[in-house]
Amino acid sequence: MKSEWKRVFFGLSLTAVCLLLAFPVLWMGLTAVRPASGVFYVHRGTEFSLGNFVEALSKPPMVRAFINSGAIATLATVFSLGVTITSGYMLSRFSGKLSNTWFGLIYLFRTVPYISWVLPLYLVTQAWGIFDTYAGLLLPHIAVHICFFSWLMKGFFDGIDPDMELAALIDGCSRWGAFCRIALPAAIPGITALAILTWLWTWNEFLFALILTGSRTPMLTVAMAQFVHELGIEWNLMSATAVMAIVPGLIVTLFAQEYVVKGLRV
Amino acid sequence: MVISRRRLRWRERERFMVSLILPAFVILILFQALPILMGANASFRSWALYNPQKTFVGLANYKRVLTDPVFYGLVLPNTFLFMLTSVGGGLLAGLTLAVMLNRMFRFERLVRTVILLPLMVAPVVAAIMIRWMFNDQFGIVNVVLEALGFEPIPWLAKRWTGMLVVIGTDIWLWTPWFALILLAGLRSQPPEPREAAMIDGANAWQIFRNITLPLLRPVLMVCIVIRSIDAFRVFDIVWTITTGGPARSTETFSLYAYQQAFVFLNFDLGSAASIVGALIIMVVGGILYRVLSRLVEVSR
Repeated sequence: MKSEWKRVFFGLSLTAVCLLLAFPVLWMGLTAVRPASGVFYVHRGTEFSLGNFVEALSKPPMVRAFINSGAIATLATVFSLGVTITSGYMLSRFSGKLSNTWFGLIYLFRTVPYISWVLPLYLVTQAWGIFDTYAGLLLPHIAVHICFFSWLMKGFFDGIDPDMELAALIDGCSRWGAFCRIALPAAIPGITALAILTWLWTWNEFLFALILTGSRTPMLTVAMAQFVHELGIEWNLMSATAVMAIVPGLIVTLFAQEYVVKGLRV
Repeated sequence: MVISRRRLRWRERERFMVSLILPAFVILILFQALPILMGANASFRSWALYNPQKTFVGLANYKRVLTDPVFYGLVLPNTFLFMLTSVGGGLLAGLTLAVMLNRMFRFERLVRTVILLPLMVAPVVAAIMIRWMFNDQFGIVNVVLEALGFEPIPWLAKRWTGMLVVIGTDIWLWTPWFALILLAGLRSQPPEPREAAMIDGANAWQIFRNITLPLLRPVLMVCIVIRSIDAFRVFDIVWTITTGGPARSTETFSLYAYQQAFVFLNFDLGSAASIVGALIIMVVGGILYRVLSRLVEVSR
């Protein structure tokens, strides 16, 4: 009898925690389908409409912001993984001075706060003429991923037995051949998980987008703030945009959960 | 590749190693090391964005930042308060959730989907939602407070309630991360010590306190170090929820540097502040790492 009560209590408290975690997202969803006239009394009234989504998308830079954010996230994922797969492989398979120096370097850079190099990066990208372009946003994104991802990739390759590669080398395979044909395929599950997370992180990123882009390359996270003006904030439009912005995350949560959970392991 | 070919003396192994890290190395130097050096350089010069004289002024910028009452009176205390409470709160909540999930059998997938939700939401989106919920006139939180017969609270118009909202948002965002990592840690623990303690008649709390927690310490340590470094440089949620206000009273270190550089256009002061912050977090990160690894050793 006592354990029965315990189970009920356990179930109730877990439900409460889940509701607490989900509430802000649910509330935003509800605000997004309320017409402008009812937005200040979301909790009352029964009018619902999808007009907010249409209106939010009709604002000038919105569609472009979605396209830009998607493009930058995709490109950043491809290139960040491209350069860190090899870097992590090198950290995992080789020891010695070169390897230790590289590891020390990326560990050091990992601790530097973003703001310390994003501020001057504003001037650097302007001086090189890539401010407010894809390249000017993409390359810093790759740079910020290098440290952490090299570390994670090293972990992926550490989990793979190097004996197979050695055997391939002895059989006359080149080092690149052994890497591409044997180590890389074995690391694909880990890399896939990281790819999904990288895409989402870049899609969600704010500080770089705020400082390194202007009107030519609007980014979603920054463009969302445009619903703030003198008369106040158009909460219904802002919520509608935010709902559209979390769709990729929602899809991932529903369909690629196992991958993501695996990728989050430290 | 070009550089490495020139040195024919290099053995094939070194050439391979260099070619593996070369792309990453070049990007790291050009887009991280170079800006950091440039920022360090600017912090010693008179460098306003509207009037970059670039004359050398020594440590004058550092002196101005360190003697700015906003910096030492508000920004630093806020940043450390945020770091401690957000990491501590997230850790506690995440650990509780992980322990609960560890005993679950049914509905695990559903619960995990809900838990992953905050992790998938952009911090900016989360901040917008929270700002709407805590809106002083129409936010649902005040509506509920009024319905229950309390006075509505102007959450974001005061320093401490504003900080509370910001910290709460960060805890909400990061609890799932803690929970999932700690859950993985719990699942990988061997069951024998717990079973032995249970046979010896230890109660649930004693088992948790004396067996589960010490075994979890290495994972806890990594979580704390990573999150503390990240929490120190928080920008997006503070910027979106309070913009550092009211009257700069909820500013954190990243916001201070940003405001100096891009709002007041004092690029030199912004750079100096960001270097000061970088030094602080390196020292704090180092100490944290030492202290925590000593704790882990003691527990072994």
